Amino acid sequence: MKRRPLLTLAALLAFGSPAFAADKTLTIGAAVFPDSLRSGNGSYASLSLLEQTNDPLIARDNAGDLHPALATSWEMTDPMTLRVHLRQGVKFSDGVDFTADDVVFTINRVLDPATGYAFITRIGQVANATAVDKYTVDIKTRTVFPTLLRGLSDIIIEPKHYYEKAGATVVAGHPIGTGPFVFQDWVPGDHYTLTTNKAYWGGAPKFDKLVIRTIPDGSTRVASLVAGESQIIEEVPIDLIDQVNESGSAKVNEISTTVGLVLTFDPSVKPFDNPKIREAFDYAIDKNLILKQILKGQGEILQNQVLTKGVLGWDADLKARPFDPVKAKKMLVDAGYDFNTPVPITTQNGKYVSDTDICNAVAGMLNQIGVKATVNVVEGGVFQQMSNAQKMGVMYMIGWYSVGDADFASVWYTKSGLRTKWQDPEYEALFVAARTTIDEAERVKDYHRMMEILADQTPSVFLFGLPSLYGVSDSVTGFGAAADKLLRLTQVQVK
Amino acid sequence: MAGYILRRLAFLPLTLLIVALATFIVLRLTGNPVDIFLDINRTPEQVTALTQRLHLDQPLPVQFLIFLRDLLHGDFGESLQFSGSAAGVVWDRLGATLQLAGAGLALALILGIAGGIACAVWRDRAVDAAISSIAVAGQSMPSFWLGILLIEFFALQLHWLPTSGYGDLRHLVLPAVTLAAILMPNFTLITRTAVIELMSEQFVVTGRSKGLSRARVLATHILPNAVNPVLSFLGIQIGTLMAGSIVTETIYAWPGVGRLLINSIGHRDVPVVEASVFAIAIIIALSNLVVDVLQMLIDPRIHRG
Repeated sequence: MKRRPLLTLAALLAFGSPAFAADKTLTIGAAVFPDSLRSGNGSYASLSLLEQTNDPLIARDNAGDLHPALATSWEMTDPMTLRVHLRQGVKFSDGVDFTADDVVFTINRVLDPATGYAFITRIGQVANATAVDKYTVDIKTRTVFPTLLRGLSDIIIEPKHYYEKAGATVVAGHPIGTGPFVFQDWVPGDHYTLTTNKAYWGGAPKFDKLVIRTIPDGSTRVASLVAGESQIIEEVPIDLIDQVNESGSAKVNEISTTVGLVLTFDPSVKPFDNPKIREAFDYAIDKNLILKQILKGQGEILQNQVLTKGVLGWDADLKARPFDPVKAKKMLVDAGYDFNTPVPITTQNGKYVSDTDICNAVAGMLNQIGVKATVNVVEGGVFQQMSNAQKMGVMYMIGWYSVGDADFASVWYTKSGLRTKWQDPEYEALFVAARTTIDEAERVKDYHRMMEILADQTPSVFLFGLPSLYGVSDSVTGFGAAADKLLRLTQVQVK
Repeated sequence: MAGYILRRLAFLPLTLLIVALATFIVLRLTGNPVDIFLDINRTPEQVTALTQRLHLDQPLPVQFLIFLRDLLHGDFGESLQFSGSAAGVVWDRLGATLQLAGAGLALALILGIAGGIACAVWRDRAVDAAISSIAVAGQSMPSFWLGILLIEFFALQLHWLPTSGYGDLRHLVLPAVTLAAILMPNFTLITRTAVIELMSEQFVVTGRSKGLSRARVLATHILPNAVNPVLSFLGIQIGTLMAGSIVTETIYAWPGVGRLLINSIGHRDVPVVEASVFAIAIIIALSNLVVDVLQMLIDPRIHRG
């Protein structure tokens, strides 16, 4: 990149010696690299980059818990109004003060359908936002909306003055925010360079420059970590965990995500309308073996529910069904199962950790008890098309994520979720009740009952909570793997 | 000659039209792009907006006419996932792909032809056996596997080269070698066969019996005649080269059109897919023209109506 002398001079004045400023660089090898910095792209890979320059009102941590960010506190002034008190003295990286106007602008922009903001559904029940004073905002909802705070953690606050001056296209090409890093350079398909925001309200990061590189191939990503070209890499392939741990220069850092991998049945197709047959399939799958051999012990076995451990609504009383092929076979025979029924299992390849391998193993285990299971691998676009048409075949494998609240994952078993043909009136009623109740204990009770219904009816075989695996160089401290796969780098130190 | 080139260029729009039509149809046969692009949490308003933007609410023939009309203005529409026009997005990535494909091709030609000559000159000797074996091995090794081996050896063991990425010349070496390995073996084998055949030709025997040295005969009589089979093969293989660059770009995180294309297909970013395929089609068509013209220049007997 050519540097103009004037800019260099400006950089000198702003940051002191540039030689010192270039001292410590953190380079990250990203697995999925979004194709633009446009906000509201709707992927966590995209949000992961955007949150380097922009903060939400309320932020999640690596475990998924909520913490104050640009909002310092909040309260419900009535059941449908959230009053948010903003952090004072925060400036955008161009020096302009952050105020209530920016929050109001951002939320109303997200809500405008013309914006095409994919995360709009996170705050879908919000009616509008209004400024009470310079540092107070009222967010009004159309209904009681218990997941509002969690929804807000996916919405980054953007500068009103910048949008009005430059327009959305310019903003997407060069974002400005209140976040820990400041945009420097963006090369689509290659890398994103940022400098540290020395005045960050949460404490300036302890290194000077951040480079996020895209390295789509898993083994190349590991090679770049081992060679020391990058200090942190995302998505270590399961079969390369040992290579990283034995490299002598890096270790794998693992955390469970909230993605629950499930095998969903189509109960509108006989004989899968019979819950006993669905249950029998569950007994035939040796989840411990798959976890040990394919997932190398990373992640968790789902305890007969779609939610991963610890998520709000997770039911500790439920336990995964044990592996019992004899019982499975007997149940099928008792139910009059026709063993000549073809059972294709539809899956994507590479969408989730070891997805095709897991599917092959499951089909193999079903074959062991005489079920004619096969694996049908389809391209992502085709999969989505089948899904939207609700023609997934007898069984399909998919991951549902909850981002910490049962609401997000349990919706896929409702009529309006359009992702399963299994339906249950009690489940539907509980879902609506939980969604329109503020009282958390009440909601948890509803979700527990919903999880019991799912466990009892087996609309899906609940397989695994998937792991998120990062490779971290020994030269880096203070980095933690994130359940939601957002990069949180303010505490990272580079040796 | 100029007339020939102009006539060939006149047919280019027809070729591109067929490519455009094929891309257009395939993109619509494999599912509604709106359903695939938009998140599972999409709202009806978003579906309507995107459907209108891609003109999917129009009948198919009308859609194609709109597409052609915009195409005439060089307008593929705005990219769905990038900010900016699809043509601009592809244009930004084209340089990296041309750099990689050019380097890979040059390497494959130079090493392939040199190896082929060596094999022919020392036919059925150790050199021939060694180079031919390497060629066959190289041909049967998948790119992604070779890529991983090269990274392991040159980047991790020897620390000579970076593992991946785009930057100075050092970043180009491994991707170019990986790409070259796809074509090089064929160049070697074709050159070898051509040179060996020519060695028993009358004019070569005459040249030798006149007292010309082996090297002289090789340089002035054999090689000029051996170039054309290699060029014909090259013309056919430009497509293979472009396909190979997709894999190579993925392994080495090279920011080219190939990876852009794969990514855009996954998201059904229709404007970018159309623009990428179009760009690749132009490259292949123009390269073939260059090859044909070169062949005519080298061998005036080749006359194309």
